[in-house]
Amino acid sequence: MMASSDPAVIQTRGLSKRYRRVTALSDATITVPEGRISALIGQNGAGKTTLLRLLAGLARPTGGEVAVLGSRPSQDSAFLAGVGFLAQEIPLYRRFTAADHIRIGAHLNASWDDASVRQRLESLSIPLGQRVGTLSGGQRAQLALALTLAKRPRLLLLDEPVAALDPLARRQFLAHLAEAVAVGDLTVVLSSHLIVDLERICDHLILLAASKVQLYGDIDTLLAEHQILVGPAKDTTAIERDHTVVQAVRTARQTTLLIRRNGPVIDPAYEASDVGLEELVLGYMGQQAVRAPAHLTTIGEDK
Amino acid sequence: MSWVVWRQHRNQAYFAAVALAAFAVLMLVTGLQMASQYHSALTLCAASHSCDNLANTLSLESPAVSVLVTLTVAVPCLLGVFWGGPLVAREFETGTSQFAWMQGVSRTRWLTITLGWVLIAAAAWGGAVSGLVTWWSSPVNSLMQQNFQPSQFDIQGIVPIGYAVFAVALGIAAGALLRRALPAMAITLVVFTVLRLVVSEDFRSTYLTPITKTFSFVEPGRTFMPTGSYWLVSSGLVGPSGPVRGGLLGNGPTLSVDGVRIPVAALPSACRTLLFEAPSKTVGGFPSCMAAHGYRAVISYQPADRYWAFQGIETGIFVVLAAALIAITAIAVLRRDA
Repeated sequence: MMASSDPAVIQTRGLSKRYRRVTALSDATITVPEGRISALIGQNGAGKTTLLRLLAGLARPTGGEVAVLGSRPSQDSAFLAGVGFLAQEIPLYRRFTAADHIRIGAHLNASWDDASVRQRLESLSIPLGQRVGTLSGGQRAQLALALTLAKRPRLLLLDEPVAALDPLARRQFLAHLAEAVAVGDLTVVLSSHLIVDLERICDHLILLAASKVQLYGDIDTLLAEHQILVGPAKDTTAIERDHTVVQAVRTARQTTLLIRRNGPVIDPAYEASDVGLEELVLGYMGQQAVRAPAHLTTIGEDK
Repeated sequence: MSWVVWRQHRNQAYFAAVALAAFAVLMLVTGLQMASQYHSALTLCAASHSCDNLANTLSLESPAVSVLVTLTVAVPCLLGVFWGGPLVAREFETGTSQFAWMQGVSRTRWLTITLGWVLIAAAAWGGAVSGLVTWWSSPVNSLMQQNFQPSQFDIQGIVPIGYAVFAVALGIAAGALLRRALPAMAITLVVFTVLRLVVSEDFRSTYLTPITKTFSFVEPGRTFMPTGSYWLVSSGLVGPSGPVRGGLLGNGPTLSVDGVRIPVAALPSACRTLLFEAPSKTVGGFPSCMAAHGYRAVISYQPADRYWAFQGIETGIFVVLAAALIAITAIAVLRRDA
């Protein structure tokens, strides 16, 4: 799964965050190698924001370990210089103009690419002198991304950056992001509750459900490791012995299994096919939703 | 970082500067007028040897300006509510803390410089208002000798600086703990007002042990009263067997004998009848009766020369409290999740 030999930009072990009564993140162990664009997928409340905030140093873990760019997330300028974070609500000073924000960024960051942020905003025709509160949601998101990139972070953490955007703005935003990644040694983690938002630009996946990491790793590797088996409605004990059944959907006539393979599937009764990213993600989310009576699970069921 | 603080708060700074300038013009114009009026009155009364009575005959302050000056007692509270309350709370409320604290400046530095400038501004602004009021009041202080009284003490000298720094620190701390601007502002208003009242009503008189004086009723009391702008903390009666019940600050109706307030209920009954039945004779009869029954008047006061010691002590108390609140703010901002 972690075939890559790249140094890890993010490494966590047993990372947990509890609030008074609620466990927001439980025992999360993940690795994100350098240069990846990682999709952090999970339903609302799965713990995506908590994980990103722990990585950014905005929240402190209540358990486990976390290393980002080789050090523990902190409030120090040395750590902050390497990490860009964009919160879901795209917090900017609504009464300030884009130009104000650029000047603030220039004052607060040792490394600041003033020319690139101005050029980027100009190419998107986002007015520099207009109050941010009067910009559209898409323009604000683009501005916030441009500001976050201007400090030249090595790791970019984006929390649901496209959730509030219309399809065109979404496309522009992701294009802007992909361009930035292509230029520099940037690692990105961006969250969404929909894989389709991110499928096109991501090569790494972290899947969260019910505050737990269900799956993570290189997307191609994960797809190669999983398979869909369709066969007659019969006993699946043999399959379960050799492979990990992620999800089983049974009807009167046939059984559909999503499995994580441990070697080749040799039972000729089953027809094996490759799994798509969306199927994979939904399979793991479905598994989490109704884990105990696995026999009753249906595909795509909501939590 | 300092530029960022300026950019964030410059509108408030402009507003405060304009308000201060307007107040300064008013103080200068009316203050100069009052000073010249006082000096010419002094020259006049010196010629006729009637200066002892000047406080009763001369009226210096215009009522409107006087009310405005009295209202400056609210300045520290307003600074606390409008500068302190939203300062950190607004960042949390709008989520911009997640923007500000993910730039390349450590959160400690952000907090130090932001709080530093705002507290300095509060001290400077509170100090400027208080300085103007103190200067403006100097003829009134000389004439009325009342600047040790709470209503004047609280708006003159250096205590308003201590109040301003404390109020702003209180607002900041409330905002950092509650993370909501409006509740923080409300709490600042209430806590500051209550604390100020408690300190000025209950604690201030105990900073240094008050001086206590007793004197007989048959002697002219005025010669026994302290001189200058002393602060009369309490007054009452000492009977043959020690201080009379309610002898210091009694409740109920009081009687004023040469400026000493005496609870009527504490009077010996023989003298009380003398007081009510023969009002024309009270001047001579009542004091003699009291003296004959072994009663003496007692006053407890802070002398005028302790004025600056009291100003220093009270300012110190509020500055120390402000420091504690800043420490709480630091914990709330640096130790808790953003």
